[in-house]
This record gives sequence, structure tokens and C-alpha cells, in this order.
Amino acid sequence: MSSYSELIKNFEKIRAYMREFYVYGFKSRDEYSTKSARSYDDERRRIESWLGNHMSFIRTLEGKNVFISIDSRRIYHNPFYNAWKAKSFTDGDITLHFILLDILYIPSVKYTISEIMQLIDEKYLSGFSAPMMFDESTVRKKLKEYCEIGIVEIEKIGRKAYYHRAETVDISNLTDVSHYFSEVAPCGVVGSFILDKLETDSNVFTFKHHYITSAIDSGVLASLFTAMREKRIITVDNLSRRKDVPRKNRIIPLRVFISVQNGRQHLFAYHSEFNCFISYRIDYLSNVRLEETTPRFDELRSQLDRMQTKMWGVSANRSKWNDEKTEHVEFVVGIADDEYYIINRLNREKRVGIVEKIDEHNYKFSADVYDVGEMVPWIRTFICRIKEIKFSNRELERKFKEDLDAMYKMYGVDRGEDI
Amino acid sequence: MIFSELYSAYYNTVAAIISKIIDGENSEKELQKVVSKYAFSESVLTIMPSLKNGKWQVVTPNMITNLEHKPTMPMTKLQKQWLKAISLDPRIKLFDVKFEGLDDVEPLFTPDDYYIYDKYSDGDPFEDEGYIQRFRVILEAIKKRTQIKFELINRQGKTVFARCYPSRLEYSEKDDKFRMITSGWRSVSTVNLAKICSCAHYTGEKALDNVEREARQDTIILKVLDERNALERVMLHFAHFEKQVEKLDKKHYLLKINYLTDDEPEMVIRVLSFGPLVEVIGSENFKELVINKLKKQKNCELF
Repeated sequence: MSSYSELIKNFEKIRAYMREFYVYGFKSRDEYSTKSARSYDDERRRIESWLGNHMSFIRTLEGKNVFISIDSRRIYHNPFYNAWKAKSFTDGDITLHFILLDILYIPSVKYTISEIMQLIDEKYLSGFSAPMMFDESTVRKKLKEYCEIGIVEIEKIGRKAYYHRAETVDISNLTDVSHYFSEVAPCGVVGSFILDKLETDSNVFTFKHHYITSAIDSGVLASLFTAMREKRIITVDNLSRRKDVPRKNRIIPLRVFISVQNGRQHLFAYHSEFNCFISYRIDYLSNVRLEETTPRFDELRSQLDRMQTKMWGVSANRSKWNDEKTEHVEFVVGIADDEYYIINRLNREKRVGIVEKIDEHNYKFSADVYDVGEMVPWIRTFICRIKEIKFSNRELERKFKEDLDAMYKMYGVDRGEDI
Repeated sequence: MIFSELYSAYYNTVAAIISKIIDGENSEKELQKVVSKYAFSESVLTIMPSLKNGKWQVVTPNMITNLEHKPTMPMTKLQKQWLKAISLDPRIKLFDVKFEGLDDVEPLFTPDDYYIYDKYSDGDPFEDEGYIQRFRVILEAIKKRTQIKFELINRQGKTVFARCYPSRLEYSEKDDKFRMITSGWRSVSTVNLAKICSCAHYTGEKALDNVEREARQDTIILKVLDERNALERVMLHFAHFEKQVEKLDKKHYLLKINYLTDDEPEMVIRVLSFGPLVEVIGSENFKELVINKLKKQKNCELF
């Protein structure tokens, strides 16, 4: 039986636990039935070690519930990034890392593999009573890995190959930049890695409406960006919330859609087998495999650009025969003399559609989109002043009315009462 | 690859320990402090023992190192690609920085690769020269802990002159706006940066207290009916707050959220957006705000 370590080899398992603890956090240990109790205890202990005070516990009749509770407005740095800094390694990995970078300490210093081997044995390890033994293929493999990562370069001089440290980028003045963008840019964890290398920390910025949970999807996101940059098809596992077994999808990734009002990230992609555009929740995607390049990428992305003018959120409605259906919605809001800020709200919050003045106190919003259902939560934020509303989708209109009635009943609101 | 030991807290900690030793510090107590600072809460059980017992042969058991240089690592390809990507973001102009050595680097992503679809459209003018200048003055004052004097247009459209210690800049991704959080200015503690028409460093001798006003908090209690995937939607939507949830039965959940009282109007409409799937249980005051909205709506005689 292997002993516990706070470091992990595979990120995927911990990703699921972190989401459970952070987003939900009402499950007791026994309710994590798909995993063993030991696995649960280990993962909980690891997350507790990484996140410290952000972990909380509550005792219920079902047992002890663990949850992560963070007011992201009060923190300077996303604590979930710590999980990305917990990769396990071997004793040889860490020993070689520091020795190799000490040998290749500036870009102008160049050594062949045999010179490096000699230095390792004679200079760095000779002082230990039981020195580690590295064979040449291990060191060569490590240097090859570092060449791929970009911290070491190989150069042929004559018939010999020389290794040297890669040139770096001066980051000494990037503290504030790295801090700000590590929290607001995609794959911000990379900015956090840069901050770790800087001597000064930044506590200049804090963030409101800050969704930090997408940090745990950074690995998938980076692979998707690579695929888009190289215009590649990908195969990816998609775990639907309705099924326990992930489904493999072979798709062309086109664009990442990010929400700053619920923190969700979707991949909008083209599924050639069904000739359709589909959005996938990125937190349900895993195991992204990059495949061959596709000549269709630019054409499909142009189609998406056009489609975005009819999308409120992440839904598109296009059949495999390329028929597109849109739905119409319009509603009128009433404002008092001192309530023009409501019209400002309509204008700044609408993503598509138009706002028209009917008269001094009434304004109409109208739009044609693929899926009006996505707009309903926003329309509800104008409750108290919606004077007219029309949906071309009659079923949706009926549901909107039914929901409003249910809200009146829920709070005992009587018709015509003076306020 | 993002998940790599090269970026790990352990590698960073060992690098810091080696640097300390090269500087002549080899007391174990002091080196343990480095572990506490850079690594995780349980790392003390692993890092120093692994160095002392020769598992990681970069420091000898008596805390001497054969390494000659303080450890540094060049930027990886991934780090360069990310920096290149953010160098393409219009907001980078706010910062007086130049990116050198990235000419041949492909960005990790471009603005065309992602789309923030629900960001409000009246964000701050990040590319306006005057805005950039004011941003930089404030940023410098925060770092130097000095006062600024500034001029802004208030809600009534009047020009106001004030002086304060800017304590931090708060950015909202949804509003796409910066707000300056101030200390020492009694009337208001938050100012939208875009509302500031001019600002400069204050070089006078008038003192101010430099303590940020404690913002008042309230709690709401919501009962969530888990239909139409409401539980997940609600929990994600309110994920950025301090919160606690309890399962009441198979379909109902009780959610407590702490929020800043200043944000109450926004909280009310956010709760309303979930329709009948979220019921306000408390506070009574908050519930009353929701009821008032519904009463007004009912008077609109929509259906």
C-alpha cells in the first residue's frame, strides 16, 4: 500500500473533488459513493493542505460535510492555482533539475552530454555518502524534455551536440501585469507561475464578480487553445451530467465562450459527423487529444462569427441540413421620470437586439435569437416593470407566465395591492 | 503542459532554500520558515526530511550545497506564450511595460479564440490616454501608500474634489470596470475609475487616516428547488460568495450567502432571475424587497 503524499500525479481525479467541494459542498463522506473512502480521505486531506483556511466543515445528521467557501472579493490570488503546483516527481527528477540548471547557469555556458555526466558525478554528487547514479540515457531524456519545454536548447557545433540554457524574458517589471492577468485572462494559472518566480508579490488588485472555479479546467483550456492555434481536429471525452460514462467526440474546436455571470466556460465546436455546431461545458471535458489539421477551420469560424449575432448565450439552432431557426422576443419596460438608469441597464446588458423608445415612460427591447430560453433569466431581472412581453415560442411564453404566477403564490402577492 | 513539477510549490521552495544556504543561512529553523512560506501546510513533513536524508541530493545532510548559483529557471515556452497572449489584450496599455524577447513566440490564445458573451458593454475606456494616466497615478500611489487628490463627477452631475489614500483597485469582469477602493475619505469608499476626470499625487502635508472602511455584510437564506438543473445553476451563479448549502430533502436545498450590503439591489435581481426555483427565506428585509418587486409587477397586469 503506497503512503499518502500531498502531491499528485494525475490532475483529473482531484478536479472532480474540488468542483464538488466548492460548487456544492453539501455531501457527506458516504455520499461520495463512486470512490473509495480512503480515496475520499486522501483527496480531502490534500485539498485541505493546499487551500488551508478556505476549507470548512459542518456536521449534519448524515455526517461531516466538507466544503470550500471563499469570498473571492476578499482575496488577491486564486487559491485553486495551488492545485496546479502539486505535481509529484521522483527523487531523481528534483535532483537532476537543480544540478542541470546549475551546470547550465547562463545561456553562454555550453556542455556536451558527456561533460554534463562528468560534472554531475564528480562535482555535484561526490559529497554524498550514497550518491545517486544517473545513466546517460536518463540525463539525455531529461535534457530532451527541457528542450521541449523551452528552458534548455541544443546546438550542433561541428559533430557534437551542446546543451545550453535558453534565453529568458525579463519579468522583473511584470508583477502587477502578472497579478492582474493571472486573475482575468484565460489560463491565468500560468501568470501565477510567473508571479511565483518574482521576488515581490502584488496586492494591488482585488476582483468583484470573480469566478475562480474555472482555474481547475486550465489544462483542458490550454489544450483547446493549442488545437485552435494549430487548426486541429480533436478527440475529447465529454462527461454529460445525465450519463456516468464519458462519451468520445471528434470535433473541430472553434472558440471558447466564457461567462462572467456564472463562471461557466463552453467550447463551441463543429461536429462533422452530424454537420452541426455544438457547445460543450469545458468542466465536463477531459483527455483532449490533438489530431490532424483541418482546412475547414477558417471557414467554420467565419460561420460562427455570423451565428454569434443570433446567440444570447451558447446555444445555436442549426439543423444538419443547414436550416437555421430563430425565435423572436420583445418586451416593454416602464420607467418613472428618475429611472433612466433602467434604459442604460437595457443597453449595456443586452448582447444582441435593439432598444426602442415608445414614449417618455416606455421602452421596448426586441431580438431574434436561436434560443430565447437563454434570455429568460435576464428578462426576469426587470420584474416590477415589464408591461408587455411576447415570445414567438408560445410554450416558452406560457412557461414564463406560469413561473411568474408561481412566484406570486410563493410570496403571497395579491392582485392589485397598493404599494 | 500546465501540470508540471517545474511550476510546483516544492521546486520553488527547494530553490528558495538553496538560495538561503548560498547566502550563508543553514539553520534548520530558518529553512523550515522558507517551507512554511512557499509550500503547503503539510509540506514541512516532506521537504526538509527529504533534503536532510539525502533523498534529494542538492543539499547535504549538514545543510551545505554543491550548487554554485542561486537557482533560477528561464521562462518556459508555455509562460512565454501566455505573456505573448496577454500582450495582445487592450488592457495591457494600462501598464507601462514592454515585452522583449517574445517576437518569435506564438500566443497561447488570441482575442479571437475566446468570447466573453455576457460582459456589459459599457466597460471602462482602457485605451483612452487620460484614463491610462489616471490609472497609473493611482497604481503608483497604492504601491507607495501615498495620497492622491482627484476630481470626479458625482451621481448628481456635480464636480467633487477629494483627497484619499487609494488602497486597492477592484476590477469587475462582469462590469468590465475598475473601482478605486479608498481609505481616509469618509463619505465614500469606492469610486468608479471612469468617473474620475483628473487625479494627481498629493504632495501637501495634510494627514488622513489610512484605514479602509469595513464594508457592512448581510446574509440571505434561499431555498432552492432542484428542478431544471436549478441547484447547479444557482450554486455556480453564486459561487464567488462565501456560502454554505444544506440538503433539506431530495429536491430542496437551503443556501446561505454572505454579501456586502452595498450590493443589495444587485442581489435582489440576481435572485429574481431564477424565478420560482429560488425562494427567499431570509432576511425579512431582503424578502420584502423581492415581494415589493413582485407586487409592482403584478400591478403591471402583464397577463
